[in-house]
Amino acid sequence: MKTKHDNLNPQESLELIKSMINQAKGNIGRSSFYFLLWGWVIALCNFGMYVIFKFTSFPHNAPYIWLLVVPAWIITLIHANKQQKQRGATTHLDEINKWLWITMAISILPVWFFGAKLNWMINAIVMMPIGSATFLSGIIIRFRPLILGGITFWFAGIACYLVTPSEQILIGGLAVMLGYLIPGYMLKNQREKNV
Amino acid sequence: MFKELDPLLHSQLRLGVMSLLMSVESAEFTFLKEKTNATAGNLSVQLDKLSEAGYITIEKSFKGKKPLTTCTITKKGMKAFEEYVNALKQYIKP
Repeated sequence: MKTKHDNLNPQESLELIKSMINQAKGNIGRSSFYFLLWGWVIALCNFGMYVIFKFTSFPHNAPYIWLLVVPAWIITLIHANKQQKQRGATTHLDEINKWLWITMAISILPVWFFGAKLNWMINAIVMMPIGSATFLSGIIIRFRPLILGGITFWFAGIACYLVTPSEQILIGGLAVMLGYLIPGYMLKNQREKNV
Repeated sequence: MFKELDPLLHSQLRLGVMSLLMSVESAEFTFLKEKTNATAGNLSVQLDKLSEAGYITIEKSFKGKKPLTTCTITKKGMKAFEEYVNALKQYIKP
């Protein structure tokens, strides 16, 4: 880009403004990493828990599979830190999105921690804040599949109240595949197309 | 009578930088350089001009050992940008 004064007509000026603003918001898809990571981790935890619960001789140990979220958190923090360094610019919406997920995590952390008190029937509770955060993320980055993903979590949360405890685990696994993994892969594809 | 376009903004690179800064909270020098495809020297000169006019603030710090330049648009800059866009609209209206 040069510093021309003369041959920049009003139409070109407007085009330039539009293209620069698009460049600045061209970070859609950056968050696909998190949806895929957490989608697989939570799906694995749910389905793993179901299998241990139903088909092994040590069903009481099933909740321990949720310890997998600890490395997932570490990876998330490292990745977020790295991404922030590379980004070069912060938008207000990036900040909102970040805090949305941090506050969501704060609200569901106690549920995981004290899960035993709830007899591990936690999916009915955790699906609701996860649904809200997913839905709002979809609004923020204007990505409809994520909005639909959020709605899926809400329905899954309601369905959890209507089934047996072990079926609740299956619903959790299924919901995360529909609510995180499908939009996550769509987001990733879209990003690759844009690059 | 047509309003005159702010000469400080009516230049490709400076307008590009201002448009970028309008859409983000703050931006690093390298980000602006990458998005505008400008050379470091030219971008630096234009940023200084915008800063002298009070349209942006430039903050110099360090990220590890590397120097880090962060630019932010000021209220005055936002106002100037809005006026520029409004003036542009007059020219474009049939």
